[in-house]
Amino acid sequence: MLTLFASAILASTITGSLCGVAGVFVAKLRLSTLTFAVAHAALCGAALGLFLETDPVITAVVLAVATSLVLGPLIDVTGIPSDTLAMVLFSVYNALTFIFIFFSPGPALAAEKVGGILWGSVLAVTKTYLIALFALLYVYLFSLLILWSRFQSILFDRRLVEAEGVNTKPYIYLLMLLTGIVISIALRIVGGFLVFSLLYIPAACGFTACNFKKITLVSALIGGLAGSLGVVTSFAFNFPVGTCIVITAALIFTVVVVCSNIKKKKLFREISKTT
Amino acid sequence: MGSRTAPREALHHTGRIAVELRDVATAYAGEKKPAIKNITLSIKKGEYVLITGPNGAGKTTLLETILGILKPCRGIVKVLGFDMSRKPYRARVFCSYVPQDFIKPPEEPFKVREVVAMGIASNKPLGKLSEKDWSFVDNALEMFGISDLKDRPIGRLSGGQQQKVFLARALCRKPEILLLDEPFSSLDDDSRKLVSDILYRLNIEGKTILLVCHAPPELKGVSMQVHMVNGVIDEVKTC
Repeated sequence: MLTLFASAILASTITGSLCGVAGVFVAKLRLSTLTFAVAHAALCGAALGLFLETDPVITAVVLAVATSLVLGPLIDVTGIPSDTLAMVLFSVYNALTFIFIFFSPGPALAAEKVGGILWGSVLAVTKTYLIALFALLYVYLFSLLILWSRFQSILFDRRLVEAEGVNTKPYIYLLMLLTGIVISIALRIVGGFLVFSLLYIPAACGFTACNFKKITLVSALIGGLAGSLGVVTSFAFNFPVGTCIVITAALIFTVVVVCSNIKKKKLFREISKTT
Repeated sequence: MGSRTAPREALHHTGRIAVELRDVATAYAGEKKPAIKNITLSIKKGEYVLITGPNGAGKTTLLETILGILKPCRGIVKVLGFDMSRKPYRARVFCSYVPQDFIKPPEEPFKVREVVAMGIASNKPLGKLSEKDWSFVDNALEMFGISDLKDRPIGRLSGGQQQKVFLARALCRKPEILLLDEPFSSLDDDSRKLVSDILYRLNIEGKTILLVCHAPPELKGVSMQVHMVNGVIDEVKTC
């Protein structure tokens, strides 16, 4: 039987790694605004869970998955730019979130639970949550393993791959679906306000690497590291876990950027010496 | 998602026409005036077609309409017998396209060899490549004299070098039809000659080539010249 601390470390490491990989994909596909919509769908779903007095994770996953499934085809059918459509949904979900929170039964219970949704909680890491997380990790890794070459081509130039006879829509929809699930699962640990940070900070670190495999790997490692160190900090200082994870990720990002710049300068010096 | 390639043998039943357009018009979203209109053109297999015209004449729109990237608002487009409004992906498997706006930013991490390989991967279920496929990739790189760049990220190359990478990618797919949009735009004189020689050889081997160029260099083997002005075909010359 795992202790709460060990469960939290395990869950945040996996969540951080998954968010890191998902962040690389959405950033490379320029789907960042779509993740806003999906993340706020998850937030709205969690608030709906409070309102209905059911498990917020389930309602968050349902709404996030539904949104990621609908968004892609909706953009393709309506022809409305993805950013515009995503921001419309983002606003609607924000409004609905506040309505559900406002009408949630029991003020004391709601405040504690609302806090958990907005800035995360290690108490959310239950046995069921860990099983769901491992299942997601398995599906994500399996998809990457099978479709890695295809994903690479699409990430490089989606239009060119389409011109070469590949229908890219199912792949994009799959990536959006996986991202939606990752966000809704991560939401319980890092919270609705901070989930983007865990998506994009590890990815930003990853983009300092020189090839795509390394970019993905570095993002996953840094996401996992930020997750585990964040939980340790949270337990040590009794701070909200989401905040600790994000601040740790930001600190790692600063170190990575500084190291990357030092490396570049060193390389320039070596080149100027040899020429 | 994986099984999408049409057998190459299927092409024997598609007749002698490579590309057929009947009264085609294409308009961009939100535009009242079509970018191209009244386009009726028939291109036989093995022809080398040069599409010329001033800026804004509709050359790129024509190429993208043929490929089905742009949907025509009127008319019928057929490529190798496939109706492009219904089965665009079936036809595209046999085509290679080099776009006009190919330049990648410096931060693009994919390496030259990977980018060229992606061309073949598009025709493979799940994009997996065999040893033989990788040898095609290396041959294509060698053909364009860019083997030494194979391990460099494409974003760090010059415009001309990147253009050669995209041409190598188009060729290693062993397409039946090559659709090239301004393929000489970033090339120096020697590279232009190299590319035009390669295209000539491919055409002799039976490949159909549609080449868009507003100021073409000296090209050997062109069999048809289509001149466009203001979105319509102004003149078709058989060479």
